[in-house]
Amino acid sequence: MLLSACTDFNVRTALPPDAASVQGQATRNLYDIVFVIGVAIFVLVEGLILFAVLRYRRKSGDDELPPQIHGNNRLEIIWTAIPIAIVLSLFVLSWQTLNTVDAHTPTPPVRIGVVAYQWQWQFVYAPDGVAWQDCNAPANAGKCVTVFGTPPAGGDRTNWTPPTMHVPVNETVELQMHSIDVIHSFYVPAFLYQRDITPGRDQVIQFTADRIGTYRGQCTQFCGLYHQFMEFQVKVESKADYTAWLQQELTPPPSPSPSPAPSGPAGSPGASAAAGASVTLQLTASGIAYDKTDLTAPANTPFSILFANNDAGIPHNVSIHAGSAGGTEVFRGEIFSGVGTRTYAVPALPAGTYTFACSVHPNMTGTLTVK
Amino acid sequence: MATTALRPAATYRTGAYDWLTTTDHKKIGILYTFNSLILFLVGGIFALAVRTELAQPGLQFMTESTYNQMFTMHASVMIFWVVIPFLAGFGNYLVPLMIGAPDMAFPRINALSFWLLPLSALIALLGFPLGGAAAEGWTSYSPLAQSKFSSGVGTDLWIVALTLVGTSSILGAINFIVTIFKMRAPGMTLFRMPVFVWTILVTSVLVLMGTPVLTSALIMLYIDRNFGGSFFNTALGGGNAILWQNVFWFYSHPAVYIMILPAMGIVSEVLPTFSRKPLFGYKAFVFATAGIGALGFSVWAHHMFTTGTVYLPFFSLMTFLIAVPTGVKMFNWVATMFRGKLRFTTAMLFAVGFLSLFLIGGINGAILAAVPVDYHVHATYFIVAHIHYVLFGGSIMGIFAGLYYWWPKMFGRKLNEGLGKIHFVGIFIGMNLTFFPMHLLGLSGMPRRIADYSATAGWNDLNLLATIGGFTIAVSMLPFLWNIFITFRGGEPAGDDPWEGNTLEWATSSPPPPYNFDHLPPIRSERPVFDLRHANDVPALTAGH
Repeated sequence: MLLSACTDFNVRTALPPDAASVQGQATRNLYDIVFVIGVAIFVLVEGLILFAVLRYRRKSGDDELPPQIHGNNRLEIIWTAIPIAIVLSLFVLSWQTLNTVDAHTPTPPVRIGVVAYQWQWQFVYAPDGVAWQDCNAPANAGKCVTVFGTPPAGGDRTNWTPPTMHVPVNETVELQMHSIDVIHSFYVPAFLYQRDITPGRDQVIQFTADRIGTYRGQCTQFCGLYHQFMEFQVKVESKADYTAWLQQELTPPPSPSPSPAPSGPAGSPGASAAAGASVTLQLTASGIAYDKTDLTAPANTPFSILFANNDAGIPHNVSIHAGSAGGTEVFRGEIFSGVGTRTYAVPALPAGTYTFACSVHPNMTGTLTVK
Repeated sequence: MATTALRPAATYRTGAYDWLTTTDHKKIGILYTFNSLILFLVGGIFALAVRTELAQPGLQFMTESTYNQMFTMHASVMIFWVVIPFLAGFGNYLVPLMIGAPDMAFPRINALSFWLLPLSALIALLGFPLGGAAAEGWTSYSPLAQSKFSSGVGTDLWIVALTLVGTSSILGAINFIVTIFKMRAPGMTLFRMPVFVWTILVTSVLVLMGTPVLTSALIMLYIDRNFGGSFFNTALGGGNAILWQNVFWFYSHPAVYIMILPAMGIVSEVLPTFSRKPLFGYKAFVFATAGIGALGFSVWAHHMFTTGTVYLPFFSLMTFLIAVPTGVKMFNWVATMFRGKLRFTTAMLFAVGFLSLFLIGGINGAILAAVPVDYHVHATYFIVAHIHYVLFGGSIMGIFAGLYYWWPKMFGRKLNEGLGKIHFVGIFIGMNLTFFPMHLLGLSGMPRRIADYSATAGWNDLNLLATIGGFTIAVSMLPFLWNIFITFRGGEPAGDDPWEGNTLEWATSSPPPPYNFDHLPPIRSERPVFDLRHANDVPALTAGH
């Protein structure tokens, strides 16, 4: 009966996936019991219907009235009492499981901030003693690891990796979940668990993953236009791998990177632009929209974009695509959460029409004319 | 009433003016039926659009924006303009006939209740030409439904339209309750009323208690969107997004019973007639109906298990308990067929189809009452499967049973049985092909309301199967529509009582005269027409219960 076509799921069975967490296993055990009882009732009643349909069809020419039975109190008491007994025991059973699934430890070894917004995820790893909400504070610069999700370019998932949450195996992980805009929902099928994230009501959940692997996750609360792109992954790895990943993320990337270190917001933008850039374009994001829909830049000359993100807590950037938004990406600026400013040094581009867009918000676009 | 009673016998082709101005409950019932049927086709086209897009990975036919409008309007149309008014239409047509009354208590209000429906449907659909219909899902959760995130006029039109539908329902419910309590014929005690009338009575009480809550919530949402209100808007101080879910589901969960109880009532009329037996356990049935109605108001937060804001054990327990009266009904229906002499007309096939499909919707509903299981499948296609086994396998099958059963009474001609059986087989197979795979998709974690799923998630083949099923349902509607057409052109004359029915509507002509009855048979049990037919049989056969 079990066809394990994928690593995560038994898609073709009437069973949930094999649980990859302690809590998920408890839910799975409960499901198996409820399912078996459900199937038994289904077979019994459907069998009775089928029996009646086959056994009691009226023969042609038979015009005699069958016995006019109006009811039977004993039978009716039986088929009221037995279902009550069944549902009450199922209720007790599911309440017990609920207490296991929702149990919280006061000192989880791993805490991760989860920020949901239209239409991506952000996973924030803060060191002990620092709340993930404070990671943007200047005093905590370089101490936190933030994973930003970006939707697939042009909606094509072929070469796209959704944002990945790394967690160590066999350790209790606490997610502190926050929504910036509308209601989202954090769902990992392999954990058999989901929780809505309502703005103004941060949610805390805990789980203990017990199987190494990468598991699919997705937002399950419809959150607007590009809801479909709010996928993510949870990578459950050994403690050593997890620590190594965290260390690697904390180390600043080697310097010849496509997007240079930001010039200070106080600096004079013209003077501090990257070497060779003679033109600086200004662009502002606020209310999940750019303030301009058209930009013009000189051809075959590097230029810079002074980009201000005025949306508090919401990540934006500027990326440039040849032709339409689905075209080849020729430049991607660093994604950062507002409020803040970055100066992007854009390499020389041949003359033509380009689209600039936010990698996080596919509906934030504009036209860049290079001539 | 005196003037209507002096009119000559029913004439049903007196022109558009008569239909536009009628206050005859039968004509209004027929208007409800056809309005709902047309909108059933509209809502069906939206569903086919969704299924077509999901047939294979990638967006081939529409943008996310169109897709979101399609599933939002599919659910809205089917719930508010198809299932609820379809059943209210049966109520309009049948309740006065079944209790031996000449009309509804308030005929003009009755006409108003109906005319609000096509008007509101047009308002909701007007969103499409005006820049996009509502696209937040039929649940329209805040803050997504706030103007900041959904600025389109489609959402405002949707709110206005639903407010009008709510008004229509409330007026109709008052009308039903007064009619049932004040206008029953002599001898028609409450416990001799047909079970269908009981289900309409309980439904009307649910509407009267629930619908004003939704209607006020919609007005609050409108204020939020247009006048800077802060009821559900978390961006402004004091707004509470969870409050919307509470008031929305306080109506919308009982709405599920509003959509299923009258269908149960239809099945409870059809099964006894074609089994040639009385309904098994009439009183148990009435109490179970009232029990479902009462419990129905204590389970709304089972839609909110994953919000982390409700007291889970209470709502879990009540949800489990509501399975009990539903189970009682199921056993009573099966017992009605036992030792009967079953005649498989199309109406009977749809009624038996109701039993076997609604059973699945009941069982997977009880599975969802287990909170941890709901944590896993909430907002996945498991829920989509569940609601369609209840509302399609249940309500729609019941509605078709009722159409085939009462069509001869409404128009004096029987629908063609051969085409009817083709219709049944097609819709039964298509229904299961479409919705059964959704259980498996949901259990493996496929969320609903997603325009395009990852091709590597392992959901492609079952999605394709569901799409094939959807088109099977669509094709199965063709023999039905053809059947209506040829029956109007010249179907088999029905006579007053083509099925050997039990209840009073079969004691008058088909179609009945405007004043319904020339004279009423004596009413000494819940089956007055049966008693009349078998008045000369052995007394033991006709004795009441």
